[in-house]
Amino acid sequence: MLFPTVGRKQWQVRLGWYGVQVLLWTGVILHLIPFYLMLVTSIKPASEAMAMPPTLWPKEPTFVAWRLVWQISDVAQSVLSQPLYRYFLNSLIMTFGVIALSIPVTSLAAYASSKLIKGPLARPLFIFFIGTLMMPGIVTLIPSFLLTRNFPFPLPVAPTIPGTDIAFPTLRIWNTYWAVIIPAGFSAGNFLLFKGFFDSIPDSIINAARVDGGSEFNIFRRIVLPMSKPVYAVTIYFTFGGVWDSYLWPLVVIQDSAIAPLTVAIRRITDAFSYAGTTSPMTAMGAASALQPLIEQGLSWNGLMVLGLLQALPVFIFFIIAREYLMQGVRIQGLK
Amino acid sequence: MAVTAPVAPPPVPTAEPAAAAPTAAAQPAVRRWQVWAFVLPAILFQFFWGWYPMLVAIFLSLTNAPIRGQVTFVGFNNYARLLADPLVAMSFRVTFVYAGLGILLTFGIPILIAILLMEMPPRLIRVMMLLWFVPLSGIASTIFWQYMYNEQFGILQFIATEVLGLPPRAFLSNERWVIFWLIFPGILMFGPGLYYMTSLQSIPRSYFEAAEIEGASFWRKIWTISLPRMRPIISMSLIFAIIGSMQEFAFPDLMTRGGPNGASRTVVMYMFDILNDGRYGDATALSVMLFAVIMVLVLVYRRLVTDDPDA
Repeated sequence: MLFPTVGRKQWQVRLGWYGVQVLLWTGVILHLIPFYLMLVTSIKPASEAMAMPPTLWPKEPTFVAWRLVWQISDVAQSVLSQPLYRYFLNSLIMTFGVIALSIPVTSLAAYASSKLIKGPLARPLFIFFIGTLMMPGIVTLIPSFLLTRNFPFPLPVAPTIPGTDIAFPTLRIWNTYWAVIIPAGFSAGNFLLFKGFFDSIPDSIINAARVDGGSEFNIFRRIVLPMSKPVYAVTIYFTFGGVWDSYLWPLVVIQDSAIAPLTVAIRRITDAFSYAGTTSPMTAMGAASALQPLIEQGLSWNGLMVLGLLQALPVFIFFIIAREYLMQGVRIQGLK
Repeated sequence: MAVTAPVAPPPVPTAEPAAAAPTAAAQPAVRRWQVWAFVLPAILFQFFWGWYPMLVAIFLSLTNAPIRGQVTFVGFNNYARLLADPLVAMSFRVTFVYAGLGILLTFGIPILIAILLMEMPPRLIRVMMLLWFVPLSGIASTIFWQYMYNEQFGILQFIATEVLGLPPRAFLSNERWVIFWLIFPGILMFGPGLYYMTSLQSIPRSYFEAAEIEGASFWRKIWTISLPRMRPIISMSLIFAIIGSMQEFAFPDLMTRGGPNGASRTVVMYMFDILNDGRYGDATALSVMLFAVIMVLVLVYRRLVTDDPDA
């Protein structure tokens, strides 16, 4: 529409059109380069992964890094106390836990806010739900951490019930999977996405169902839910990506390394690597560390790339499975 | 700052509100308790893990906020200590530069690319979008960029020395340039913004056709039609960009750990250093300070800019 509909055949217009296309394809290709380079580096031998000039395709492709990464916990107990798959599992439990809790909680509230609550209460409730979006999340980090230890008191010790010596009962979710799952029970960002979608459903459909008789919940389940698959796909996808990638909060609330998520475990490995000196070849020889046996067998940046790819894989798979719904969910019309 | 366009929008009859109105009278009553069953869980979660910790933070910043032992009220001592700390001032300076430069250099890109992408035929948009939104997780991309930036064998060093023939450079260990190099991936990996694309689709074609008859050029159409129409969503994204970039933590922390000499240590990263020292009261006070600064920025911004596309 920016390009004139009349006179498309003029050479200046054509040139501009192709220029735009070249620019866009450049962006697409740049976006795909990391995937290629990580994949290629992961099948290089250790020395070639740190060779200058870098090679575009390994001279001798090898899966040594893929094999060695799985052995990290056997060789270096001090770096990883559990086998790698355990951290994968931890991340999956947390991610699906958050999805199972927050998607129903958030979507039901968004539906009520969009279709059921009218009148003077609607606006304050809406602000209550999305107001936290406007505020920097970092400020709640320390209070939330304290809350996971003595819910609902942000104090080291629960106060005693007045007049007695008995402390108030508190809930302790710190250092369990729940510490990641429960605080994420409501998502203001997803609430906005859900509400935007439910707003676009005509009221008449819901009113018709009400006339036929049926509880509000049944109307939601039988009428609204089936037509809302795209928005659920988008929010579940965002939640999945967000929780799967979260690093800061799990680091703060989970102390036991056996239930730490993959992101924390990977950070521990990359740290061990940089102390061992493998990330710079100058000091690689002299460094003594827990990872030394693996490094001698040929683990270097190729191994870090394997870790990165493994970490990226679930989100990638989710994207492939749900891509059709995702495209609809963001309502890019006319693309069918 | 204001992007007011001197073009009058063509008269479009607004039919939507009128169509929805008549049903209101006939609407069956919504049962109260059922409504509360829908929203109550969300209210509880949003209160206890959203608003409550925020209020608690302000209270804790006035105490020693201990993890064990006794809570003691210390008044504004935490704040006084932070204001006297030169590293706090430095981390705020770094944060302002990082956020300001980051927004300046990267915020416009997804808008422009979205506008250009919508010019392509639908089939091509679809293919490009699918490729563009193939996800790479945050940790994976950090590992990738650490590899790219390696001073001995990184590909960027290779491009600088072998391809461009420049002297070798110390990308992330150069105090003057480290912030630019932390922002650079965001410039290089340009792509369209999803929400901008949805907003662009809602612009009636007739606007562009009318502009064309008037003889408006390519850039003129962007300036007077696309951008003003996208203004609410741009304005909202800018607020989120300000809030988000002032809290930058994960990427610089993983890339540089705040080095060299604190030249890339943002406020949140410094808050973590304090936290690791066990100074919980100070850390909370610093987060409340950052909170106050961000809220002031947001309020000033909202004062300066209105959201109405027809203004």
